[in-house]
Amino acid sequence: MPVVLVIWMVVWPIISAIVRTIWRPDASGAYGFNLDTYIFFFTDRYSLDNLSLTLWTTGICAILLLVICLPIALYLRFSAGRLPAYVQGLAIFPMFVPSIILSYAFIRVLGPNGMVDLILNAAGLPKIRTPYLTPWGPVIGLVWDNIPLTVLILLAGLGAVTNQSVEAARDVGAGPIRVFWDIILPRLGNSILVALSFTVLGLFSAFTLPYVLGPAAPEMMGPFMQRTFRDLYDPLNATTQAVIAFGFCLVFGLFYVRSVAKNRTP
Amino acid sequence: MSVLEITDVSKIFGAVRAVDSFSLNVADGELVCLLGPSGSGKSTLLRMVGGFERPSSGRITIDGEEITHLPPEKRPTGMVFQSHALWTHMNVFKNLAFGLKLRRLPAGEIKDKVEAVLELVGLAGYGTRMTHQLSGGQQQRVALARSLVLEPKILLLDEPFASLDQHLRERLREEVRDIQQRLRITTLFVTHGQDEALALADRIVVMRDGKTEQADRPDVVYREPRTPFVAGFIGTMNLVEGIVSNGVFTRSGFSVPLAAADGPATLAVRPEALELTPSASAGQAKVHRVTDFGTHGLVDLELPDGARLKAMVGHPQMFSNGQSVDLKPTAIAAYRDNALIHRS
Repeated sequence: MPVVLVIWMVVWPIISAIVRTIWRPDASGAYGFNLDTYIFFFTDRYSLDNLSLTLWTTGICAILLLVICLPIALYLRFSAGRLPAYVQGLAIFPMFVPSIILSYAFIRVLGPNGMVDLILNAAGLPKIRTPYLTPWGPVIGLVWDNIPLTVLILLAGLGAVTNQSVEAARDVGAGPIRVFWDIILPRLGNSILVALSFTVLGLFSAFTLPYVLGPAAPEMMGPFMQRTFRDLYDPLNATTQAVIAFGFCLVFGLFYVRSVAKNRTP
Repeated sequence: MSVLEITDVSKIFGAVRAVDSFSLNVADGELVCLLGPSGSGKSTLLRMVGGFERPSSGRITIDGEEITHLPPEKRPTGMVFQSHALWTHMNVFKNLAFGLKLRRLPAGEIKDKVEAVLELVGLAGYGTRMTHQLSGGQQQRVALARSLVLEPKILLLDEPFASLDQHLRERLREEVRDIQQRLRITTLFVTHGQDEALALADRIVVMRDGKTEQADRPDVVYREPRTPFVAGFIGTMNLVEGIVSNGVFTRSGFSVPLAAADGPATLAVRPEALELTPSASAGQAKVHRVTDFGTHGLVDLELPDGARLKAMVGHPQMFSNGQSVDLKPTAIAAYRDNALIHRS
């Protein structure tokens, strides 16, 4: 039953989308192999800008997530007591906040005349240059949104690093940095790959945060697909954009599969 | 001269005093076993020497230099952990070379040292193996080699054989003893196995509730336990509560001359120091069960009030269940208020 569901809900739509974008009727109505929509996508400046923005946002988010989440996960793994429990609660909290609420909270805090501006104004300081409706808007929102999942995945990976293996490294003379670099990081490589894979997959399909917080043009692939489909009434090009986005996700999906397979190999 | 001096060290976790004003001097080349039940504070003490726990009070010195507050990486100690704690992403050579690389030794010297220590622990040629390709015993040898290759002043062993089967444990403890004696390395060994302590140690420190109950040579701890706890913890011991009156200890028809003041006392008799003679009359005890181990037998005895004793006999076939016997202790000790009051 699950296999049938996966084929029906996942595999079939993918195959159908690919086939519909490359096996199409020409002007006479005869079906044949046709890559026009792909050629259009990869020669259209606007489409390429949107893809670039999505890749840039994904890259920046992935880096920021690692920089933010790795220290949090390390702290949670190797600390004990009440404070780490509070930190974990805070780190997981964004998971329970819907994206749309998060978006409007972001606007009320960092948007024009938001809370930060009001505080700065009250202090007699100039307003900030708001990241709202710039590429940094979705970056901030998406990073915030993805912190819980990334922390949880890294924390699960750190569970495989025993206290005694860290103590053994310290015992032979390794300071904290060498312990992290030589003992913890090699054991965490797979978890980082998994976290990055999930993050990238999530970012490519993100819609609400880029739509509400991001610039109108260029735009990320999620809003771009939606606008092409609904505003331009162009399902063929929207499907082509979806297949291209899927192609990028597939690469990271393969990283994930490889990582899982590697973990299961003794 | 003492290489390791632990002076008045305590460790408090919340409301629990895991180690309580503990002092110990360990001489150069000596192998001292910290022996005690779970929760006696022996591992905590070892971890404080290794730098993994900070003492709440007290002082630890190695070769006269205070190390009480030094982090583990700055101490001249090497620890072997119960779980081996090998780095599974490195092969055997890299596990051993890691500490040497941190000391920035030349590659050639690292190679020579690693190969020499692998030979010492009987793993020559295993350098390229990954740790998961080794047996439990081999992994423990690698863990030992990883500590030895750095030539620490003090070797710390935290129940290193606990996860191994009995046969392997016995073989490895002989090997560890040989290596320790060959290198004359000062060693602190934590175990809750009395056999291990008796077989390995130059000196045994029996711990209870974070304190020393007795610190002596293994034969002294075994033959002359200073407290009823040590008597009961090391080997098998019959501990019989009774009354001393007019120089005789009595418990339910079982009496022994005992030179001590009148009052309650605990009599301690090893099974091998309790001679049995078949009795034609009611006797002092009845045989409850006889177990034949081939080389010797163990007779479970029951006093008239139901108290149980054990006696080791050379010919177990001489005894049978329900038989009446007389008891004659050949070596006894007696305690009152946790202190020794008589030994003969």
